[in-house]
Amino acid sequence: MPIKVPKDREVPFGAITPAPVGQQELFITSNWRIVRPVIDHEKCTRCFTCYASCPDSCWSFNEKEEKMEWNWKFCKGCQICIYECPADALSAAPELDFEDGVVRLEKPF
Amino acid sequence: MLSGCAAAAQGAKLAEVEVICSYPIRPYTAIMMELARMVANGELDAEFIHGEGEHAQVSVVLGASAAGARAYTGSSGVGVTYAFEVYSPAAGGRYPLQMAIADRTLDPPGDFGSEHTDAMSARDQGWLMGWAATPQEVLDNTLINFRVGEDPAIMLPQFVCQDGYFLSHIPDKVIVPELSQVREFLPPYKAPHPLSTECPVSHGPQIRPDQGAPMDAQRAATFLEVPRVIERAVADYNRIFGRNYDPYLEKYKMEDAEVAYFIQGAHANTCKAAINRLRSKGLKAGMVRPRWVRPWPTQQIAEAFAKVKAVASVETSTSYGGAMRGGNLVHELRASLYDLERRPLVTSFMAGLGGDVILLEDFEYMAKILTQMVQEKKTRQHVYWIGFEE
Repeated sequence: MPIKVPKDREVPFGAITPAPVGQQELFITSNWRIVRPVIDHEKCTRCFTCYASCPDSCWSFNEKEEKMEWNWKFCKGCQICIYECPADALSAAPELDFEDGVVRLEKPF
Repeated sequence: MLSGCAAAAQGAKLAEVEVICSYPIRPYTAIMMELARMVANGELDAEFIHGEGEHAQVSVVLGASAAGARAYTGSSGVGVTYAFEVYSPAAGGRYPLQMAIADRTLDPPGDFGSEHTDAMSARDQGWLMGWAATPQEVLDNTLINFRVGEDPAIMLPQFVCQDGYFLSHIPDKVIVPELSQVREFLPPYKAPHPLSTECPVSHGPQIRPDQGAPMDAQRAATFLEVPRVIERAVADYNRIFGRNYDPYLEKYKMEDAEVAYFIQGAHANTCKAAINRLRSKGLKAGMVRPRWVRPWPTQQIAEAFAKVKAVASVETSTSYGGAMRGGNLVHELRASLYDLERRPLVTSFMAGLGGDVILLEDFEYMAKILTQMVQEKKTRQHVYWIGFEE
């Protein structure tokens, strides 16, 4: 009673995959955000507290521009980074204030 | 002289386990007490972690195994069921950790006595699983299971089970092998893609529904490979350590048996004594004791019972509302025998529940029923609740 998984349906052993070096472009999970963090790059001390405190890894360091970069695709607006920032560089702004705000989408992705 | 728990601890020590996670629950607790003593006085160099509960125990060793460490844990009774959520991730993630289970009746209420239901209820989770009948076998199974589970073609976690109290706490003669012998038998654990900073990987990612079925199929395909790995491992074990194990079953006086018992765990020892008594009275009785529940040795069981006229499974576990309204061994036993040209009559006996002893008289009662079945050429009842019949 042999079992054969067709090649195009194979999944990695134990579902172990190379660590994400990019993003799943279609796996966007931020469409219920109503508040987003706004960063003041002058106040920011690059301490990485926002990076460490975000439950969804939405903050990363842009090496070229030497600035913290925010990921709009996964941020749910929990505001933990805003509360945790020791330099007061982050503030909360309503999603509606932004042209590209997710609340303005015709349909959620 | 070692009890089953002490033998398990010796096995884990010889396997040079690297991470142990403990949480107390009788009767398996003695294993952890032994291991703690060994770690404290330097006999065993392992990380000894106190889990905050059985769920934490299995989660901790899962993480350790994911990082490439040989990991060991254990539990009993409701501890086994408390950790349930983590069993499938451990098997699906292919972490060959080992969990020692010293059976205990499931609550309610608190009953320390042995019943197999605790571990049996996890038999669909994708782990290797089997019962030992003697402390020697507990030690041997500990090593054999690491070898089979960690085989690169297999990579599955293992439940190494023993009856609580009867096996876990009653000492018997055990030959403890030399570390050099064990090292010859058991190569170091090599995780294929361990968590690592040099080569980062993601374990347990989110998958799409259409990826779920291939994962299941791949895991099922692995189980088809397990038997040959078991055979090779047991052959090596017998050679290196001087034992005489059949890879799948212990067969006792089956060559000419007309009626037979199908029984797992420590009560099989009483069964053998009963068979000797019955044979002296002229009844050709035999016994088959499965050493593995997963993978279930379907073919071997069918062959073992092919010439027998009536078989009884002795159930020390419950499956309320199950097809035979008794235990759970009988269902897979009947399934194994279904394709035989001439099927033996099959029945089952509920005995030893709650940690009760199974007496020689009980086995003789079972033989009486089996003989009656052979004479009448039919099964009257599919299950007999010994001690609770009118």
